[in-house]
Amino acid sequence: MRLREDARSLIFTNLCSMLGTFFLGLGSVYIKSKEAPAKDILKDLVEMCRGIQHPVRGLFLRNYLCQISRDKLPDIGSEYGGDGDSINDAVEFVLQNFTEMNKLWVRMHHQGPIREKEKREKERSELRDLVGKNLHVLSQIDGVDLDMYRDTVLPRALEQVVNCKDDLAQHYLMDCIIQVFPDEYHLQTLETLLGACPQLQPNVDIKMVLSQLMDRLSNYAASSTEVLPEFLQVGAFAKLSNAIGKVIDSQPEMPVFGSITLYVSLLTFTLRVHPDRLDYVDQVLAACVKKLSCLPRIEDKKATKQIVALLSAPIEKYNDIDTALKLSNYPRVMDHLDNATNKVMAVVIIQSIMKNNTYISTSDKVDALFELIKGLIRDMEDTDDEELDEDDFKEEQNSVARLIHMLYNDDPEEMLKIIYAVRKHILLGGHKRLVFTVPPLVFSALKLVRRLHCQEGDVIGEDVPATPKKIFQLLHQTVEALSVVPSPELALRLYLQCAEAANDCDLEPVAYAFFTQAFVLYEEEVADSKAQVTAIHLIIGTLQRMNIFGVENRDTLTHKATGYSAKLLKKPDQCRAVYACSHLFWVDDQDGIKDGERVLLCLKRALRIANAAQQMANVTRGSSGPVTLFVEILNKYIYFFEKGNPQITSSAIQGLIELIMTEMQSDNSLSEPSMDAFFSSTLRYIQFQKQKGGVMGEKYEPVKV
Amino acid sequence: MASRRRMLLKVIILGDSGVGKTSLMNQYVNKKFSNQYKATIGADFLTKEIQVEDRLFTLQMLILPFLQIWDTAGQERFQSLGVAFYRGADCCVLVYDVNVVKSFDNLNNWREEFLIQASPSDPENFPFVVLGNKIDVDGGNSRVVSEKKAKAWCASKGNIPYFETSAKEGINVEAAFECIAKNALKNEPEEEIYLPDTVDMAGSSRLQSSSSGCEC
Ligand SMILES: Nc1nc2c(ncn2[C@@H]2O[C@H](COP(=O)(O)OP(=O)(O)OP(=O)(O)O)[C@@H](O)[C@H]2O)c(=O)[nH]1
Ligand SMILES: [Mg+2]
Repeated sequence: MRLREDARSLIFTNLCSMLGTFFLGLGSVYIKSKEAPAKDILKDLVEMCRGIQHPVRGLFLRNYLCQISRDKLPDIGSEYGGDGDSINDAVEFVLQNFTEMNKLWVRMHHQGPIREKEKREKERSELRDLVGKNLHVLSQIDGVDLDMYRDTVLPRALEQVVNCKDDLAQHYLMDCIIQVFPDEYHLQTLETLLGACPQLQPNVDIKMVLSQLMDRLSNYAASSTEVLPEFLQVGAFAKLSNAIGKVIDSQPEMPVFGSITLYVSLLTFTLRVHPDRLDYVDQVLAACVKKLSCLPRIEDKKATKQIVALLSAPIEKYNDIDTALKLSNYPRVMDHLDNATNKVMAVVIIQSIMKNNTYISTSDKVDALFELIKGLIRDMEDTDDEELDEDDFKEEQNSVARLIHMLYNDDPEEMLKIIYAVRKHILLGGHKRLVFTVPPLVFSALKLVRRLHCQEGDVIGEDVPATPKKIFQLLHQTVEALSVVPSPELALRLYLQCAEAANDCDLEPVAYAFFTQAFVLYEEEVADSKAQVTAIHLIIGTLQRMNIFGVENRDTLTHKATGYSAKLLKKPDQCRAVYACSHLFWVDDQDGIKDGERVLLCLKRALRIANAAQQMANVTRGSSGPVTLFVEILNKYIYFFEKGNPQITSSAIQGLIELIMTEMQSDNSLSEPSMDAFFSSTLRYIQFQKQKGGVMGEKYEPVKV
Repeated sequence: MASRRRMLLKVIILGDSGVGKTSLMNQYVNKKFSNQYKATIGADFLTKEIQVEDRLFTLQMLILPFLQIWDTAGQERFQSLGVAFYRGADCCVLVYDVNVVKSFDNLNNWREEFLIQASPSDPENFPFVVLGNKIDVDGGNSRVVSEKKAKAWCASKGNIPYFETSAKEGINVEAAFECIAKNALKNEPEEEIYLPDTVDMAGSSRLQSSSSGCEC
């Protein structure tokens, strides 16, 4: 039945509009033909519409009236009028139409059965543009200048909006006023417009209305720098800020999310219009803190999202965390975030620093920054360890690690202070974080050491705080902190790095001490055989590059290193480590050590181990292993042979080649293509050197391949 | 003249808020432009007398808002209103702002909206024209949608003609609407609407067709 009625009403509406078309069409002809004063005809038309009280029909009819009369309105400069009076008439006409239409529209709300209220509101909402159209038409009338708008249009429109006391109408029409009239007008009438807000119904979403207004004005400000003086002239910030305060105070039921949204809009506005006024920005944040501090810790997802938006805005605007660090209320807002969101925000901050390559250049700023991102730096109270995803944690800590490299100052004194500050913060971070944060700190400190060493000469004297020695002490303690994790392999690497840096600074005792630390760790903590292999090669490599050790220290260390090598668990590992040790006795520098005898000793020892490995393979597998180790040793022989080690003779090389060939031909040898290739290319190399002639060719002469 | 009959070419202009639909129309019809932004509420239209291939036409341009009335049942009453706006469209112009990527991304939605509301008999071949507006802003430095990208999209939708315009500087506006009118003319109208010359009822033709549309 309902459907039928709808259909009937539809037909009636259409009939009405046909009738309307006829009369109004006639009306517009009259206006055009100038036979009757436009004003009178318009008045007649409005009167005629009074007869129709059915809201929907009335709305359509009046909308039509509004449309049809639009381009025929007596207007300044138009052929139908032109004097002030006729503009007033036109404005009066549309305002009246607006008032009547809004009344009809609001009346719809009160008609019909209660149970269909929702559906009716939906329908009503779809008709809203019919009412709003009047405002659009008003904005199009050229004669509506600022004075006319301020004195007549705006007050009259607002009066109707406030008096209709209808939620839907108030929200929609406020929005319409904001959208259809130009920004200049809004700026000049801010007080009037904002003054209406507290008078609206309590359920009207004022924050949306105000946000729209501020967003619009922000866009306007961004459109051209020429318009900025207008904002200053009217004191837009103070007025908006004031209005927002009033709205929030007058609506205690407004959800947190709502008030923060308002602050976000105000902040966006401030950043666009007054980018130079950090104090305004801080004021907005302060107002937000004030609101948040009356509330329990925010749990609401929507609200936290808004806080993140609030905090991200200044960073995005200034592209420079330095500026945000100057905002005293910034960390206070962050304190109101839950732990997870706090971390998200911290990551945003770090990303901004990385993206913009911002160096944080003083220890005070470092302190402030670490306070901001403390959610990543240390465990917060009441964090549930369970909820922590391993990968997320790694990701976070890696970003902290990257950040540490951005904490930098050219001045060594300040840099040292920064390093102290960072150390202080990361040591509070607990053992899970240290493995991520200690390495970048160590490298940052080592960079400083090298810098100091390079510019040595300018700054000498005992009272200079930033000396390499002092930094090495700090490094020592810092790496030591890893023992609580424990992470002996990482600590060992870092000690070796420090030793190398100490070497470059000519600090023999310091370098020796770091090696000792590394060796102690190796002996006492590194238990896994694979880790031992890696560690021993690191030790050998570093030790090989050291050039400050006196004979005694050097002997002690190389002795230890070769000892460790020979004690590795697997024979092949032993063999490789031992032949690597040969390099400890032959450093290819001008005044590097050249102890040919001990080189030979290492290589012979490696050969013995390779032999033993071969035999072991025979026993366990019934076949000898590949000849890999022998070929590798052969290559070492060739290296030292060419470097001029007198202990390495061509006959030794010859012997080794023959040994390998015999091994390869033996019945139970295991042939492996890559191995064969390695060996034959080694032989080819010898061949090549022979053919090349010269000194090297002569040297190789006795070797037969 | 009074007895001459002119044919109506109806063009629907769609696009996100603020892309410059009203400004383009004003530039074309009145040769005027304003920096002031006054949003359009509801439908809006303008007409212009034009001459194509020695024939006179009334070009009626309608800017339509997004109608969100297709999601729920039982809205037939106002649906008819929407359909009425779209009925008899000869060409559809899709406008975006080359400086706002979202407005470009939304072109698809606007095209869909048109095809649903107007349901042309041959949707594959219905004439569209795309305008990338505001190319003047910041000397083109703030532009985010490249001409290439826009043209690729147009090509993928059946080679829609594409123009880069500035309503502010009047760049390409005339040319674009010329193309729009030609394409509208190509779309052989199913029923020609003749208007008496004396009564300027351009604005009323819309509701007229709305009532005629509901008689069936
Ligand atoms: N620089 C520049 N500004 C333009 C151009 N076209 C429009 N504008 C400006 O953009 C703003 C919006 O233009 P409108 O024509 O009102 O946009 P619209 O698409 O009709 O917007 P709605 O009515 O809200 O849907 C106005 O401030 C215009 O001055 C252009 O080509 N260049
Ligand atoms: Mg518009």
